[in-house]
Amino acid sequence: MSFEWPWQYNFPPFFTLQPNVDTRQKQLAAWCSLVLSYCRHRKLYTLDVLEAQESPVFNNKKIERKLSVEAIQVVFEELRKKGNLEWLDKNKSRCLIMWRRPEEWGKLIYQWVSKNGMVNSVFTLYELANGDDTEKEEFHGLEDWMLLRSLQALQTDGKAEIITVDDGKGVKFF
Amino acid sequence: MHRRGVGAGAIAKKKLAEAKYKERGSVLAEDQIAQMSKQLDTFKTHLEEFASKHKQEIRKSSQFRVQFQEMCATIGVDPLASGKGFWPEMLGVGDFYYELGVQIIEVCLALKHRNGGLITLDELHHRVLKGRGKFAQDVSQDDLVRAIKKLKAMGNGFGMIPVGGTYLVQSVPAELNMDHTVVLQLAEKKGYVTVSEIRESLKWEKERACHVLDHLLKEGLAWLDSQAAGEPQYWLPALFSELLSQDVTPEEANQMTP
Repeated sequence: MSFEWPWQYNFPPFFTLQPNVDTRQKQLAAWCSLVLSYCRHRKLYTLDVLEAQESPVFNNKKIERKLSVEAIQVVFEELRKKGNLEWLDKNKSRCLIMWRRPEEWGKLIYQWVSKNGMVNSVFTLYELANGDDTEKEEFHGLEDWMLLRSLQALQTDGKAEIITVDDGKGVKFF
Repeated sequence: MHRRGVGAGAIAKKKLAEAKYKERGSVLAEDQIAQMSKQLDTFKTHLEEFASKHKQEIRKSSQFRVQFQEMCATIGVDPLASGKGFWPEMLGVGDFYYELGVQIIEVCLALKHRNGGLITLDELHHRVLKGRGKFAQDVSQDDLVRAIKKLKAMGNGFGMIPVGGTYLVQSVPAELNMDHTVVLQLAEKKGYVTVSEIRESLKWEKERACHVLDHLLKEGLAWLDSQAAGEPQYWLPALFSELLSQDVTPEEANQMTP
């Protein structure tokens, strides 16, 4: 399924950081939305700033406009403030993109578990994210760091417990 | 010997004659009034019949509305005159335009976030028709213009700016003077405008051009594009043709200030 770009994406000024404060607010909100939905569509969980500059999100070849590195940083800062982004390094060159928050993932996983009557079973992290059983689920392919956070959220809720299984980690659902 | 015509008797007689004339005069006037009143009643009945017969027509056909309005204009009647009155009530045209006015306000409010309160008549028309659905009555651009004029008269901050053969409808009381208007008209062709274009077409000083463009940016009507070849371009979302059929996204709806 192809990605549906918002109207702003083909609007040349969208790629210029707007001088007017109110307009800039609208612009940044639209950028945040776009970045999150694009990452969701491509199932991207991390972003590299330098690579991002060349990605179609920030670079619209058709209208020959791209977001500058400074502007990308501003957008990323907005996302960070909203809780959708975490820097992986001090230099701010790589980041985690959370187009869905850990709590939301936890909920989805638990729904699948209870729907299939697997409460009280034990899973390895691998089984959950990469097993054949979960192939059709949205959380299939979820990266480890996010999976762990999601399960931690469930743990806090008393709905799961993270345990050690063989050499790795596993989880038991209640 | 008595002289005729003079003396107390004559005066009294004269007075009596005058009184009789006066009475006659008032009788005459009463007659006329009674007759006029009767005529008016007949006229009123005819008009009521006309109104009920054509009320449907008025609601259904934009063609009919145009002709009707023109007819009213010829005889010096404004069927949309505000306030309660013989004409608006009688002809029931007011309802149609009132409802349309409400719809126009809704469309403008929904898009204000995106275009700063400026919208082309075309886009407004397109969206009003869309909002009315398949079975709704036909609404013409002439209808929109009349409804907007009414809104303007009621002080709703509405205005219309003529551009390239049509109008830009302004729904926010942003202060737009002649300078701003003329730049908007220039921008209508391509959806954007530059300082050079303004100077070339309007023969203005650079400062004057920049002043206007800054104002448009400030009012949220224009966005700056600094990556354009040559010099910065000032784009107006209201004139961005690709937006014509794009619905308001959920994100935009969330961002709308109440």
